[in-house]
Amino acid sequence: MSQDNHSARPQGRPPEGDSRLSRVEAQLRSPFLFFFVSALIWLLASSVLALISAFKLQAAAGVLDCEIFTYGRVSAAQHNLFIYGWGFNAFFAVNLWLTSQLGRFELRNAWLVTLGAVVWNLTLTYGVLRIFAGDMNSFSLLEMPRGVGPVLAVAFLLAAFWPIVAYARRPTGHSFASQWFIVGASFVFPLTYLLTQLLVLWNPASGVVQALAHSWFIQNLLLLWLGGSALASVYYFLPKVLGRNITGYYLASVAFWTFFLFAGWTGSASLLGSPIPLWVQSVGVVGAAMLLVPIIITAINFHGTLSVDGGWSRAWNSTTLRFVSFGAVAFTIAGFLNAFFSFRGYNAVVRFTSFGAGQEQLLTYAFASMVIFGAAYFILPRLTGSLWPSAKLVHLHFWATALAAVGSIAAALTVGWQSGKQLADASVPYAKVLAASSGLATASVLFAILFLVGHVAFALNAFGMILKSSAPAAESRHD
Amino acid sequence: MKNTKLLIAGVFLTVALPFGALLLSSQAQLGSLGRAPAEEGGPLFPPRTPGLAVQGRAVYVSLGCVSCHTQQVRPAGQGSDIARGYGERPSVARDYVLQPDVLLGDRRIGPDLANYGVRAKSIADVHVAIHHGKAFAFLYESGAKGEIPSERAASLAAYLQSLRQDYSSPEAKLKQ
Repeated sequence: MSQDNHSARPQGRPPEGDSRLSRVEAQLRSPFLFFFVSALIWLLASSVLALISAFKLQAAAGVLDCEIFTYGRVSAAQHNLFIYGWGFNAFFAVNLWLTSQLGRFELRNAWLVTLGAVVWNLTLTYGVLRIFAGDMNSFSLLEMPRGVGPVLAVAFLLAAFWPIVAYARRPTGHSFASQWFIVGASFVFPLTYLLTQLLVLWNPASGVVQALAHSWFIQNLLLLWLGGSALASVYYFLPKVLGRNITGYYLASVAFWTFFLFAGWTGSASLLGSPIPLWVQSVGVVGAAMLLVPIIITAINFHGTLSVDGGWSRAWNSTTLRFVSFGAVAFTIAGFLNAFFSFRGYNAVVRFTSFGAGQEQLLTYAFASMVIFGAAYFILPRLTGSLWPSAKLVHLHFWATALAAVGSIAAALTVGWQSGKQLADASVPYAKVLAASSGLATASVLFAILFLVGHVAFALNAFGMILKSSAPAAESRHD
Repeated sequence: MKNTKLLIAGVFLTVALPFGALLLSSQAQLGSLGRAPAEEGGPLFPPRTPGLAVQGRAVYVSLGCVSCHTQQVRPAGQGSDIARGYGERPSVARDYVLQPDVLLGDRRIGPDLANYGVRAKSIADVHVAIHHGKAFAFLYESGAKGEIPSERAASLAAYLQSLRQDYSSPEAKLKQ
């Protein structure tokens, strides 16, 4: 990054010479930008809602005390917008681009993708408005009314089924790790989503089996769709930007299979102590421990690649890799924490505290979102044919989001652990535990502001670039 | 990894195996669970929820109460739920068989409510609790003699008072 500052030019300069997009990229341009702009808008909306819900916890009385802004609704809307609005749209875009790069896939039916994007975002808007109106379900990330589910699933297929088509039709027999992860993620999510909708909302299973189905859904969504997509990006950008092979690449196929095989079994580890059969809880604990295999392999792949030949400092000096390697480190930490805190003794301490929220944020923000940012810094200049307008905003974006992510996750984890320890001692009154963890509420407000600053900086830069490019880029493609 | 069908089939199995082995078999194990008497010939538990409380439950869901309150008591070895007085016995699957959608919850920003109906001493206390300071004042109307609970507040209070797992279940007996 510093080199770019010396030559006083913004980030992510597109390749010299031919400024025209390749045909493959030109076909992708409009669906990619549609997804990406939608993702950014949802990211901003969810950051604002995160700030509101942080305020509500900090001062339970006084801020927006009306019905639509009850904490339950605001936090549910925020969570859904962050995951389905930001995470999904962004990975629709990035996965499509990666697919086209790796398989030379020509997207001839771009209108179908755009249709999927329109349906996805309209349905999401409707679903979130229903949440604010109080028409919500009680399972996290399934809060939107049940009619929304099948429509979202169809939109997902229109928007994200293409990697599977591309993989099946790829011209060469050879394939790359990123492709496997994208194919797996794109295949697992719609199936899981529909099955869970069926078991939880349409034809509810008996009592607590719903909670079990929900935990399975959450793990598949967070680990396999968001995590799998983000891993695909890391596998692509690390070697691409560093210009060297992945260390121990032959292990990547083991990582892929073990990750997909074990992730689906870990859900019940989040229900330890709940009234579900004990054997199911134990399967979850074993699954979480087995998941260490792909965590360790990806750690060897990623950190090994970064550790050779000054890779870390080169990563630090490239905007894309600065974000992507931040994400790679977060993924390793998240994996170890998940395995460690799935053991009954530790889990009993942190269960029901802010610890779980910290773990989820580690996965969805510090890993997946940071990887998305890194990918955007690489892809957008190539697709728009122009430069990032401001290097200062890039710096602001990185430092604000990185500090906010580290700070808010560390706060959620440590406060969760401490209050869990206090709660475990029944002689400590509940009010005292609440008072001791009130610092978290104040910190959450500060970090929510910092997140918002970072996201606004990123959005300004990205919108500036897209708007600036749209007219001249259209001309340059005619010559 | 060169074989597309193998990849798709493998990924399909990663969904199908946990679905079958965890979810369907749990449903097979618990699906036939019904109400049971605490002692032979006695009334069946869990009791049916009164009509007003059923309406209150809908209010509970629509206000998102589940994002701060759990309704489950962990066994004595795990956490201090019983020592803290959230319940006299751990929650069991049978306690939830009548619930159309279970409200177990996974975060305690406020206290657990599995046995709130046992703990609440008077209806006035319940309304104070619903109020949360001033945050839920919109559920109340101001009248000549102070605040009057709206229909929704009254039904929510009825629901909260109906929350109790203080009966013996075949899986978890109360200590005599």
